[in-house]
Amino acid sequence: MVKKSDVFVAISIAVFVLSLAYVTSLGGLGPLPPVDARKIAYAYLNLTYNPWQPFLTAFALESVTAIIWDFRGLDTLYETAVFYGAIIASIALYRGVKISLSKKEWSKLGLSPIAKTVTRLSFVLIPTVAASVALHGHLTPGGGFQAGSIATVVIVLAIIIFSRYFLPKHGVSKNRALLFRSIGLMGVGLTSIAILLAALALGTNAYIFQNQAKLNSPLSFPARVDDYTLGGSLLFFNLFEFIAVAFGFTIVFLLLSVSEEEVRKVVTRD
Amino acid sequence: MLEIFTLSLLTLFALTSVVAAYLAIRERDLVKAIVYSAIQSSMYALIYYVLMAPDIVLVYIPVSVGLIPAVLLFVVKKTERYEGE
Repeated sequence: MVKKSDVFVAISIAVFVLSLAYVTSLGGLGPLPPVDARKIAYAYLNLTYNPWQPFLTAFALESVTAIIWDFRGLDTLYETAVFYGAIIASIALYRGVKISLSKKEWSKLGLSPIAKTVTRLSFVLIPTVAASVALHGHLTPGGGFQAGSIATVVIVLAIIIFSRYFLPKHGVSKNRALLFRSIGLMGVGLTSIAILLAALALGTNAYIFQNQAKLNSPLSFPARVDDYTLGGSLLFFNLFEFIAVAFGFTIVFLLLSVSEEEVRKVVTRD
Repeated sequence: MLEIFTLSLLTLFALTSVVAAYLAIRERDLVKAIVYSAIQSSMYALIYYVLMAPDIVLVYIPVSVGLIPAVLLFVVKKTERYEGE
C-alpha cells in the first residue's frame, strides 16, 4: 500500500530533479552538451579506421573498442587485473569449501518444468548473443566485458532455475572455471606482448600493447582477412577478455550458491 | 522536433528512475527493494541508449538487471528478508 507521505516525497524529489534540470538547461553549468567535441575526441574518431595514417590507426570500425583495447589498452589491462584480484579474494574467502555433488535426486530440485524448458532454450540463445557481441566487438558496439557479463546470465539462470547442483554435475566446476579464466587472462597477457615477442625473435623494434605497425617498429597484427576487418589485436583481446570475464563471474556465482551450513562447517572447523 | 522527443523520453526515464530509487530506499521487504532497484537500473540503461552509448547499454543491462540483483538476492537469502526498525 502506497502511503501519502511516500507520494509527497516522490513528488518533491521529482520537482527537485526537474528544477535542477531546468537550471542546467538554461546554462547554469555552461553549454551542455559542449558545442564542440574535444580535440582528443576528434583524434580518436579520426584514427579509429584511417588507412591514410597507417602508423596511428587501429583499423577497427568501432571507436569505443579501439580506445579501450588500443589507444588506452594498458589501462584496460590493469582494470582486468583489478577484476582478477577481486575474484582471487572471493576464492580466498571460500577457501576449503567444497562444492558438494553428493546430493541425490538433485534433478527434482529447482523450479517447475515450464521454467526449466524455457531456460533450456536460453542456454543456447544467450551464449550465442554473447559470442556475437565478443567476436563483433571491433565492428559493432560490444566487446569482451559486455559479452562476458551477458554469458554469465546463463550461469545465474542455471543456478536459480535448476538448483546449484546442476552446473557441477554438467562439468562446470569451480576448478574448471578457474582454469578457463586463467587461460583467458594468459591470452590477454600474451596478446599484449605478442608483437614484442615476435620482434625479439626477428630482431626489430616493438612496443608493449602494439596493434598496428608504428613508425619505427614494422610488425603489426593482421588488420583484415580478405574483406573482413579484424581490427588487429582487438579481436583477440575481446575474445580472451570474454573468456576471462565469463568464467570469473561463474566462479563467483558458484561460490555464492554454496549453502551456508557447508561454509559454516569449514569456517568453524566442525 | 526530434530534440524535443529525445528530451521528453529522457525526462520520462529519469523521473521513473527517481521514483524507483525512492521506492527501493523506502521498501522494508528487501526482495521488493531489489526489484525496484532493477527497475531503476533498466531506466538508466534506456537513458544510456537514448544518449547513444550502446556499449554501455550492453554491459549495463546484464550487470545491473541480471547479475547485481542475483548477488543481492543471494545475500538476502543468507541474511534476512525484512529490514528491522
